[in-house]
Amino acid sequence: MFDELSLNILDIGMNSIAAGATVVQVTIIEDKKADWLIIRIRDNGRGMDDKTLRRVLTKNFSTKVTRKKPIGLGLALLRQTSEMCGGTFHIRSRPGDGTSVTASMRFSHVDRPPLGDLNTTILALSSASSPVDIQLDYHSNDGAFQFSSQEGKRHEPRRTQKTQRESAATSRAA
Amino acid sequence: MNLDELKKLKEKAQRQVALREGQKKYRVVISMGTSGIAAGAREIMKTMLDEIEKRGLDDVEVRVTGEHGLEDVEPVIRIEESGGEETTYARLDAEKARKIVSEHLEKGRKVDNLVVGKQKNP
Repeated sequence: MFDELSLNILDIGMNSIAAGATVVQVTIIEDKKADWLIIRIRDNGRGMDDKTLRRVLTKNFSTKVTRKKPIGLGLALLRQTSEMCGGTFHIRSRPGDGTSVTASMRFSHVDRPPLGDLNTTILALSSASSPVDIQLDYHSNDGAFQFSSQEGKRHEPRRTQKTQRESAATSRAA
Repeated sequence: MNLDELKKLKEKAQRQVALREGQKKYRVVISMGTSGIAAGAREIMKTMLDEIEKRGLDDVEVRVTGEHGLEDVEPVIRIEESGGEETTYARLDAEKARKIVSEHLEKGRKVDNLVVGKQKNP
C-alpha cells in the first residue's frame, strides 16, 4: 500500500501523536554489511491494552475500510512489509506507558521498499498542532545523524546550562 | 538513505519553526491520516511548502492533523483564516496545490472549483 517506508513511519507517528504523545522517537538502522534495515518508532502516548493490540494486528486486509477510524491499519501494513522482506515485527504497548514498534527487514530483499523522503516525513510529524518533540536517530555504515524538532525552537524550556548562562549575560548586557 | 540529504533536515525544520512565530493570516491544515497519506497528502504538503517558500509568503503556517472525516476525497486540506473563515479543498494533486498557494494564499482568491463541503449558492 505504501511504496516508501518513510510513509509507514509518518502513518505510525501520526498514531503516536493522536495517542497524546509528547515525544516520538524514530530510530533507523541501515546496516548493509549485516544486511538489516531496522525501524523503531517509540512514543510516550497513552498506549494500548492487550485487547486493542490484538485487534490492530489481526486486521483483515480484505475488509473494506469503513468510515470508522481505521485504527492500527498502518501497523498491520508495516508488519506485512517486514515479514515479506525476511524480517520480524514487534510491538510493545501498555496503557499509560506508551507504544514501541520495531520492524526489521533484509536490506537487500528485492521487495523491500526504499526509505524514500524521510525529511518530509519528519517535517510533517513536526508540524502537528499539539506540541510534540519528534526525534530522529539514524545510523548507517557511512555514519549517523540525530535530529530533534525541539532543538531549533526559541524559548525552549530544557536549555543547557551554558545556554542559560549565555542568555543571562546577554540580558545583562542589554 | 543519503546522509547529506538528511543533514538538510535541520535547516528545513528551522525555517518551518521560524514561520510559525506569531499570529498568521492563513493556517493550512493538511489531513495526514492513513487514507490521506495513501492518497498522497505528504507530497501535497511538500509541494505547498516549496511553493510558499518560492513565493516568499510569510503570513502562512502549515500544520498536519489526523483524519478530517473526508477519506473518500483525499488528499484534503483546510485553510483557516485569522478572521475565522474556513475553506476545505479536496481531491488535490501537486498542480492544484500550487494553484491554491498562488491564488488563495498569495492573492486571497479562493479556487472555487476545488472547494468542497460548502454550497456555492446558499
